Formats: sequence, C-alpha cells, structure tokens
Amino acid sequence: MSQHIISPEITFHTEHSDADFKSRVRKTTILLSVITIIELGIGLLIYNIHKGENPNHTLVLMFKGAVCILTLAKAYYIVSVFMHLGDEIRNMIMTIVVPLMLFIWFIFAFIYDGNSYKNLRNTYDKHFQESAVEKQEKKAEAPAAKPGGKE
Amino acid sequence: MATTATAHQTKWWSGGKSPFNMEYGKLMMWYFLMSDAFTFGAFLISYGSIRFSQNFWADPNVVFNAFPGAGHANLPLAFVSVMTFILIISSVTMVLAVHAGHKGDKAGVTKWIAWTIVGGLAFLSCQAWEWHHLITGEHAVLVDGHVELIGQTMRANPWGKLVEGQAVVDALKNTSHDNLVSLVSMHDHTTSHDVLSAMSNDALINKLDVAELHIREKGPVAFGGYFYGITGFHGFHVFSGVVINIIMLIMTQKNVFEKKGHYLMIEKAGLYWHFVDLVWVFVFLCFYLI
Amino acid sequence: MSEAMHTTSAVSAAHGEHHDEHHGHHKETFITKYIFSQDHKTIAKQFLITGIVWAFIGGLFSVLFRLQLGYPDTKFPILETLFGHWAAGGQITPEFYYALVTMHGTVLVFFVLTAGLSGTFANLLIPLQIGARDMASPFLNMLSYWFFFGASIVMLSSLFIQTGPAAGGWTIYPPLSALGEASIGSKAGMDMWLIGMALFIVSSLLGGLNYISTILNMRTKGMSMTRLPLPIWAMFFTAVLGVLSFPVLLSGAILLLFDRNLGTSFFLSDIVVNGQVLPNEGGSAILFQHLFWFLGHPEVYIILLPAMGMVSEILSVNSRKPIFGYMAMLGSMFAICILAFLVWAHHMFVTGLNPFLGSVFVLLTLLIAVPSAIKVFNWLTTLWRGNIRFTPAALFSIGFVSLFISGGLTGIFLGNSTIDIHLHDTMFVVAHFHIVMGVASFFGMFAGVYHWYPKMFGRYLNNTLGYIHFWVTMIGAYLIFWPMHYEGLAGMPRRYLDKRGWVSFSQFGDLDKMITVVTVIVFAVQLLFIFNFFYSIFKGRKVTTQNPWGANTLEWTTPIRPGHGNWAGEIPEVHRWPYDYAKDGRDFIPQTEPVGANESAH
Repeated sequence: MSQHIISPEITFHTEHSDADFKSRVRKTTILLSVITIIELGIGLLIYNIHKGENPNHTLVLMFKGAVCILTLAKAYYIVSVFMHLGDEIRNMIMTIVVPLMLFIWFIFAFIYDGNSYKNLRNTYDKHFQESAVEKQEKKAEAPAAKPGGKE
Repeated sequence: MATTATAHQTKWWSGGKSPFNMEYGKLMMWYFLMSDAFTFGAFLISYGSIRFSQNFWADPNVVFNAFPGAGHANLPLAFVSVMTFILIISSVTMVLAVHAGHKGDKAGVTKWIAWTIVGGLAFLSCQAWEWHHLITGEHAVLVDGHVELIGQTMRANPWGKLVEGQAVVDALKNTSHDNLVSLVSMHDHTTSHDVLSAMSNDALINKLDVAELHIREKGPVAFGGYFYGITGFHGFHVFSGVVINIIMLIMTQKNVFEKKGHYLMIEKAGLYWHFVDLVWVFVFLCFYLI
Repeated sequence: MSEAMHTTSAVSAAHGEHHDEHHGHHKETFITKYIFSQDHKTIAKQFLITGIVWAFIGGLFSVLFRLQLGYPDTKFPILETLFGHWAAGGQITPEFYYALVTMHGTVLVFFVLTAGLSGTFANLLIPLQIGARDMASPFLNMLSYWFFFGASIVMLSSLFIQTGPAAGGWTIYPPLSALGEASIGSKAGMDMWLIGMALFIVSSLLGGLNYISTILNMRTKGMSMTRLPLPIWAMFFTAVLGVLSFPVLLSGAILLLFDRNLGTSFFLSDIVVNGQVLPNEGGSAILFQHLFWFLGHPEVYIILLPAMGMVSEILSVNSRKPIFGYMAMLGSMFAICILAFLVWAHHMFVTGLNPFLGSVFVLLTLLIAVPSAIKVFNWLTTLWRGNIRFTPAALFSIGFVSLFISGGLTGIFLGNSTIDIHLHDTMFVVAHFHIVMGVASFFGMFAGVYHWYPKMFGRYLNNTLGYIHFWVTMIGAYLIFWPMHYEGLAGMPRRYLDKRGWVSFSQFGDLDKMITVVTVIVFAVQLLFIFNFFYSIFKGRKVTTQNPWGANTLEWTTPIRPGHGNWAGEIPEVHRWPYDYAKDGRDFIPQTEPVGANESAH
C-alpha cells in the first residue's frame, strides 16, 4: 500500500495497461494529424476562392467556421488525452471547463465592439471610410482592368 | 457540495485529502495554465477585436507562402504546416515521456524527453527563420504615388490591397532608380546588378511586366504587431518549455526522481508542454487559417 | 485493504511529511525566520507591514492633493521646501497633481487593498482556519511576497525619477499613457508603472494559485467545504478572480509597453501631438479599456470579497449568534464572483462603446444588486437580537455594512448607462467607489487586524485608541465622501486641478475646504492606528487565554503564539460547521467538538 502514496494528498492511483495506452496515443496522434491536414486543405481552398474573380464571401465564412470547429476538436483531444484531463475526477474537469465558459462572453463582447468601432468610423471618419469604398469600386473595375494589363 | 464519488465510495470533499485525488503541485500547474490561457486568450481576442475594426485585413495565404530553400515559389501554408507537425510530434513524445515516468522507466523518460527537446528546438528554429524571412523580405508597396520596398515589421505592413492597371504604371514613373533596380532584379535573375544600375529608369520600367508585379498598398499596421507579439509570446513559452525539459532531463540523469520514488515533476512539465502545443493550435487558427 | 486505515495513514502522512519536508529541524537564523521566511504567518505579517507603509504613502498623497482642491488660493511654502519645483511657490503644479492622483489610486487599489489585504489575511487565515501546517507550497508563498516587494521597489523608485511617476490616472488609458511626448507623466515613470505591475501580477498569481490549491487540498479531516469559515470561502473566490483576471491586465500592459517602446499601433490611431502627426494607425484606444476593465472590475471584488468574508466571521463571533444564511452567503459570493467577470464595460459607457452592447452590460451590472442585497440582509439578520460585544473589530464590521449599503446604492445609479452620461467622471463616481470599495474594504481590513492581532502577535491592540480610531474614521469617511455626491450631481468633474473657473461650482468652495480639513484629521487618526499597531507589538497587553474571543474556528485551538507548523501535536479533526454560537444553551461550541447525541441540528 505504501508505495502508492507518492504524495500525501493522493489516496489511490488509476493504472492503465500499457498496450491500451499506446493504442490510445496512436489513435489521437493520427486524429490530430488528419484534422490538421483537413484544416490546411480548407485554408488552401479559401486561398483559391479568394484568387477567383468573384469570391463568394458566405462560402469563405462557412469554411472559416468549419476550421474553428475543427480547431476546437483538436483542442479537446489534446486536453483530454495528452493532458489526461479526461482521466481525472469529474469535479476536477468541471473546475477547468466551467471557467473557460467565461471566454464566450469575453470573445463576443470584444469582437462585437471591434466591429462596432469599424462601423462608427465608416460612418463618421471620411478618411477611414475611403478604404471601404475603394474596395467596392475595385471589384467592379477588376475584370476590365485585367486584360489591359496583359497587353 | 459534499459530493460522493462512486469510485471506492470515497467522500472526496470531507477533508484530509485532495478532492481531486491530485497532489497540490499538479493542481497548481493546472490552474496556472488556466491563468496563462487567459493571457493568450486576451492577446488573441484583442487581435480579433482589432481585425473586426478594420475594413481590410491581409490574406494569410499571401503573407505566409515562403519555404526555406524554395526561393520565390508560391507555397502558401507549407512551412507553417511543417511547424505544426513538429509541435504535434513533440507533444506525442512528451506523452510518452510522462508515461515512461509513470512506470518509473528512467531510460524511457530520458529518451522521450530528449526527443521533445529536439522537437522544441526545431520549432524555435523554424520560427526564427520565418521571422527573419518576414522582416528582411522586401515587397513592392505603393506609397504616395510611388513604389517603395518594405518588409513586414511592427510598424509597417506591405500586404494591403493589390494595385492594378494605370495606377501601377503611374507609380513606376515616380519611383526612385534604386527601387526600380531592386524591383527588376526580383524578377530577373539573369542580368547582373551593375548592368541594371547603368540602365535608365524608362528602360528598367520596360523590363517589368506590370501584371506580374503584385504591387500592393500598405496593409493594416496592427497585423505585424499582433503577429510578432503573439507568436513571440508563444515562442517564449516554447523556449521556457525547452529549458524546463532540459532541467527535467538533467534531474532524471542525476536520479533525483529515482530517489524521490516518483516522476511527478515530468508530469507537470508535460502539462506545460502540451499547453504550449494547445496554444499553437489557436495561434495557427487565428493567424494562418482564417 | 481497508479504506479507513488507508485514509488515516494518508492524513497523518499528509501533515507530518509535508511539515518535515519543507521546514525540517534545521536551526532557524534571523534571515530564514524573519526575512526569507516560509512560514505563512510571518509572510502575512510581511504583507501587512508593507501594506501599512504603502497605505501611509498613498494616504499622504491624498492629503496633498486635497490641500490643492480645498485651498486652491493658499500657498504652502513647506510644500516647496519638500517637493522643490513640483510645488513651485508652495502650490502643487498640474503635473504633480496628476502624479499624486494616479499614484494614490495605484498604490491603494493594488498595493494596499489587494496585496496588503488579501495577501495578509489569506496567508494568515487559510492554513489556520482549514487546519493545515502551512500553505501547499511555502516556497512559492515566499516568492509571492518577494515579487510583491520587487514590485514595490520599482513603483516606489518611480516616485524619485526626474520626470516623476506615471500620471495618466490609475487606469492608465492610452493614448495619453502611451505617448511620452504628450505628458511628462507618460515618460519613464509609465514604463516603471507597467514593469511594477507586471511583477505585482506575478506575485498575485503565485499567491492565488497557492490559496486555491491549499484550500482544496490541505483541509484537515472533517473540514468539508461547507464547514469552511466564510473568510476562507471569500479568499477562495478572491484567488479565483485574481488568477483569471490579472493575466488579462498583463496582456494589456505588454501591448502597451510595445506601443510605447516598439512603435506598434495596438491602441493608437490618428494622433496629433504638439502639431505633429504620428504614424500610428489602426489601433483602438477602446480596446485597452476593455482589457483594463476585464481585470479592473473583478479587481473591485478582489478587494471587497476578503473584507466581506472577514466581516461575516467577526459579526457572527461578536454577536454571539450563528451567521444568518451560510449557504446564501456562499451562493451570493459565487454569484458575485461570476458576475464580476461579465460586467467590465459598465466603466466604459461614454467612451465610444457600442450602445447596444452597453445595454447588455447594464442588465448584467444591475444583477449584482441581488447577491449584494442578500449579503447585506444576512449581516443585518446576524446582528438582529444578537448579544453584541462592541469590540473595535465588531464596530469596524458594522461600519463596513453601513458603508457597503450607502456606497452600493449609488452603484445602481452609475450602473445605468443613461444616468451615467451625466454622472460619468464626476465627483459622484469618486464618492461611490471610495465608499463602497475603498473605505469599506479598509474597514474590513481594520476589523481583521483588530480581531486577529492577538493571533498574529500574542498581544492586544489598545482598545481606547481603537475606539477613537473607529469613530473618527467612520464619521470622517462620511463627512469626506457624502458631500462629493452633491458636487458630482451638480456636474463637478473629478481629476480637475482647479475648478475656480466655473461659476456653477463656486458654491462648493467651502464644502471642499471642509472635506480637506476632515481628510487631514482622518489621516492623523490613521497615524494613531499605525502607532497603536507598532507599539502593541512590543508593549501591548498580553493574550493569556487560548481563545480570547470565544470563537469556534480552528485558529484559536493553536498555542497563543503558534510556531511554524501551527499545532504542537496532531492537527485537530473537525466535526461541525464554524458557527455554532448560542446553541443548546451553550455560548459557543468549537469546530473540534464531536456532535453530541442529543444535539439539535443547525
């Protein structure tokens, strides 16, 4: 019994079988790699959409959302398997996960206010507004300008 | 509050023991990482806030398209994927080191920690190369009606909107001789620098293919600050992780953990290392993918 | 294997081994005992005494700028003697005034009411009240103090440099704080402010992690979470708040350092200084305010919660009644802890924040009134029909409740974004936060010092001086801050050096003089307290009984002057909650007493 008490506060230890553990690590590694490759693929896809004549912004946004979800999945596997949080007592998991909920409001409020700052300046700041207006004009001009450049 | 866990019918919260069956050091490490997550979170969320407050943002696929030894080839995201895989692999070796520690396998710990250190150093080298490339690489930018060559620094961003057509032709006429020479030599590797220097401005402009120039306006300044700030802060974490791992390696070699009877220190170092990997997942998302 | 045996051995191992491991039997020198001590009680005293030194400095600053506000026409030659060109002609210069206001806020909010308050009492009370030999990691605990000391040195030395300390207000809003050319208070003093705060954040992080893991892991046998005395719960939530919110300030401070020294544009955009256009572009000053207040608001509760916890304990002990609504107290502290993270932008209603977002923040802010009201109700009902002993500690606790009510009510005004348009940055705000967070927390701290002084030093503070201290401070605090509400409602701005130019404020001239006079008197009485504190360490009346207040909690089961390790023998086991006062015909039943067969439930 005594060899189990490595630290006074700990009363027992859960042991994994070696083979079990190794296969879990292998599976997670493959999963993380596959997700990363999919993410890179989507990144390149976005790049090609942007290169095209009329980028479809909704589609780009959807792809970006997909990447975010995939990243959260990756984060879940790293924390749960590599950091062994999944093996801890439920209450311990809660003390980590619940405070992370604060990020929801943290992110939403900051982004919302950043966006609002942009709208404010586009409305009241002529100089700042130019950068938005030009973009629209460019898009209309772009097809006409291209053949001219190639001559 | 006094929750009764099912395992062993233990009253976890009744005092006299850890309610999470976890020694205090590991608990402190977890909560430290929570705290650090808020530091990184604040950085990344600030970045998001600024990005949403801009009408235009640089496309990461355009910014990060270089690969060591590949010259000017356009390889978007290639290098960063190498960096990402290095970090994932080093995380796996760290898991194995922690596992070896659980079994009290000194040789295993030594081997896997050493590989983790190698992975960390490789990542840092990659980052050094990337920074160096971004800072020293020159890009043609339209400034006040003429073309200038600037790199990606904290104060300037060369990846604004593409300028096309007549504006480029006009800008080239107002561009200084030296900048034109550099501009031509970027695309023409056969003619020597001296020969180009001797040519007139008009001759130099004639050598340029306006459609291939990719001249841009100045981009959002905050891009550089956030990129160097956040990847730098992450790199600092990787660096300190490597230092911690080296200390762990030395302590393992000196049988410190053997004498203690447990390798819990390795577990804590492992938590820190995985956290560094975790942060990279989000840095990767925010700067390279979206 | 038998579970019971297992746990017993684990417990004895827990405390025995832990004790030996860290503090062995080696001979203690002066340095290991008093300077680089790892004993939580000594570290608590170090925090307290450093905090007192800082409180003296910060308080003195307020006296200096109150002189200017109350007597803008009078010259005080002694000021020129003391401060040279900062007070040329015996009058405080604008730069000096801003530096004083900034450092008064910084010092009192962070160095006194954060480090001095929770640093002192978390360190002192957590191991003693949960039944532990020391903190989970005594070494990191020591580091926590020395990082605080380092932060203090940096902040203190910034007072003595050529260009003076930071002077952009304690909230250090950029662009002012980011541009050295805009104000001398934004030159080197500002860098030192940021570095000092970075060290401070490290200190608070080390402390906070220690408090959390100690409370979770090191509780003695029987001390379940719901048997914890309320100060411990308060310290726990305080530590959680600190651990999760200080890093955000750290991020903001790092970005600001970059803006100041590396030419980045995180917070700067479209700025002209002295007719010169700056190249910075694309940053957002509002972003910094978001980052600052993401810490800044929880900070208010970091300051207030320990005071709340200690007051709950002291009120219960001194009214000889169980605390009313223990679980409601926990629930409301938990609710406050969560809401503290969600309401930060109510400090920013008029700074360009999106009004719709602002209205959500109004809603969340007003929700805080609910747990606050629950707490006030519980304190009053604890006192209700109690057998109150008016010790100085009890008086300060009652004073705390009074201040918390009057300061909290004005918070409802300010939490409404529409009313805030009128009241923002007026003396009304100054009155509000000084009463509810400044003076109230100070009262909690004083209550704690008077109550646990016997445990810290084995002697009592002088009671007569204590009563003088209380009454003058209590009446003085209201005399100082109550009139400021009227000034603020009339529109008088805060942070202004000289308001004589406005006819509308001329009626307040005499009122400002009165406030200044009272400030000087209250400051003098605090000096009396400091005298009492240091005098009593050596000459105070000695404590002769182990449990002088007749309290239930574990710290009173230790020897009168506990050594390192707190209990001479085994750590006592806990059998009941800490508030069994006036129960079954007994005055008090300590936590260590097993529950009797016929005992009524609480």
